[in-house]
Amino acid sequence: MDFLFHKLSEKEKEEIRKQVNTILESFSVKLSKVGGKVEENLIERKEFERREGLQRDSSFSKEIMFKNAPEKNKDFIVAERRKW
Amino acid sequence: MVTTIEKLKSYLNEIKKNDKKGKKINAFLHLNSHALEEAKRIDAKTKKGKLAGKIIALKSNINCLGMVANCGSKTLEDYESTYDASVISRIKEEDGLIIGMTNMDEFACGWSGETSAFGATNNPRALGFVAGGSSSGSCASVSAGFCDMALGSDTGGSIRVPASHCGVVGVKPSYASVSRYGLIDMSMSLDQIGPIAKSVSESALLFEVITGRDERDAISIGSKINLKEIEKVPANIKVGILDLKINNSRIQNLIDKKIEEAARKYKWKTEKIKLDYIDFAVATYFPIVYVEFFSATRKFDGRRYGKRIEEVCGSEVLRRIIGGSEISKAEHAGRYYYLALKAKKLIEEEFKKAFKKFNCIICPTVPRLPHKIGEKISISEMFQYDALTSPINLSGDCAISIPVGNIEEIPVGIQIICEKFQEQKMFQIARAIEKLGD
Repeated sequence: MDFLFHKLSEKEKEEIRKQVNTILESFSVKLSKVGGKVEENLIERKEFERREGLQRDSSFSKEIMFKNAPEKNKDFIVAERRKW
Repeated sequence: MVTTIEKLKSYLNEIKKNDKKGKKINAFLHLNSHALEEAKRIDAKTKKGKLAGKIIALKSNINCLGMVANCGSKTLEDYESTYDASVISRIKEEDGLIIGMTNMDEFACGWSGETSAFGATNNPRALGFVAGGSSSGSCASVSAGFCDMALGSDTGGSIRVPASHCGVVGVKPSYASVSRYGLIDMSMSLDQIGPIAKSVSESALLFEVITGRDERDAISIGSKINLKEIEKVPANIKVGILDLKINNSRIQNLIDKKIEEAARKYKWKTEKIKLDYIDFAVATYFPIVYVEFFSATRKFDGRRYGKRIEEVCGSEVLRRIIGGSEISKAEHAGRYYYLALKAKKLIEEEFKKAFKKFNCIICPTVPRLPHKIGEKISISEMFQYDALTSPINLSGDCAISIPVGNIEEIPVGIQIICEKFQEQKMFQIARAIEKLGD
């Protein structure tokens, strides 16, 4: 298998789907052999309340956020239903 | 004394010579266009931070305000970060200078650095061979002398594997010791941001800056280390040598020789240790990653950030998306995900038990040498790259890879694993082994 990035053809996409089924099947066979018992996960904390860290000033660029969006209209991002 | 600006100019000159031209390392995707001004500002300060003078590269999945964080993918090709990740705020507070964003496997899905949409990263220490992934550019940039240190992310070995192949130091911190706020995630229950550097002490310095509790990453706790103590060789250490047959005996021999040398010099005790369930690691790791990655990528629908992921991604990303979508189906409930979580817990308990007897567990970082760029390789061979690193992501413990020698002039790394939040001990043991030299 060649792992170098390239644009995928529809045929390759179909092959990947088949590969995934084989890979998942191999995981399933292996995992079905997992023995042993596990107890339910518990959240262990020394203190009941967490003391959170100091709040820092966070700089956030609204300008860049709009720059990243492919379609926008003045001050909102266009996200039409069924278009994606 | 060399100023930040002098150092930066020297690194930029080296990048110009050997990143896209010369050796064609292809470690960087974008350089910081404001770096010279920022360097001047740092040099002008009278009271400088811990990282003053340090030139730092960032994996392209860590948000840094105004920089392009494209995750090595066409999906986010022109995506500019709108904010700083918590680790970046901490680095900036300590006057570290960001030089640029580094190449990586697409969305961190890869082992070799080949799946980047912007070309594979060349291994500076073994040209023509893969650098290892997914933090390929971060490790290659440190190894090639393009920067002092770098940040990567490690979900199954993505810092340690390329660190091993490129001959640098790479740290996977304990789960929850470093905030992931601002990391473009692959698998949130396994991801950790960690440092890459030329030496153990430099990696410890960067770790000390980035570790800590952060209200914006609910699971973060932080891990305290004392940098002055790193140089002290710890006494009464009991080393567990992982008893696992690997195909490349030359790698194991190199590791065994180094442990023997350390044990003789420092009077450490050694004993072989077998860990149950470790051979389940790959089958446990991938179903969890597939599901969490599938969930994480649903936001890349082409509305807020450029392109729809399924339309432009490469084969490994698509494989994980399809795998995650399949596993998430109701009809499979319990078949993969529940069993994988169960196996994860068992692996975690197995390590916990081992650390009652041993201070650390040592093994090769990667059980094989890197392949040539573009070489055809089977998926099961590819899975081998993570075989000895992914168990530590599953257990949540901390691990470091340091160079231990060369085989056929290709660097080989030794992995030192310590219990959760025992980074101090891990750095001390690693530094003691580093002092032995090649």
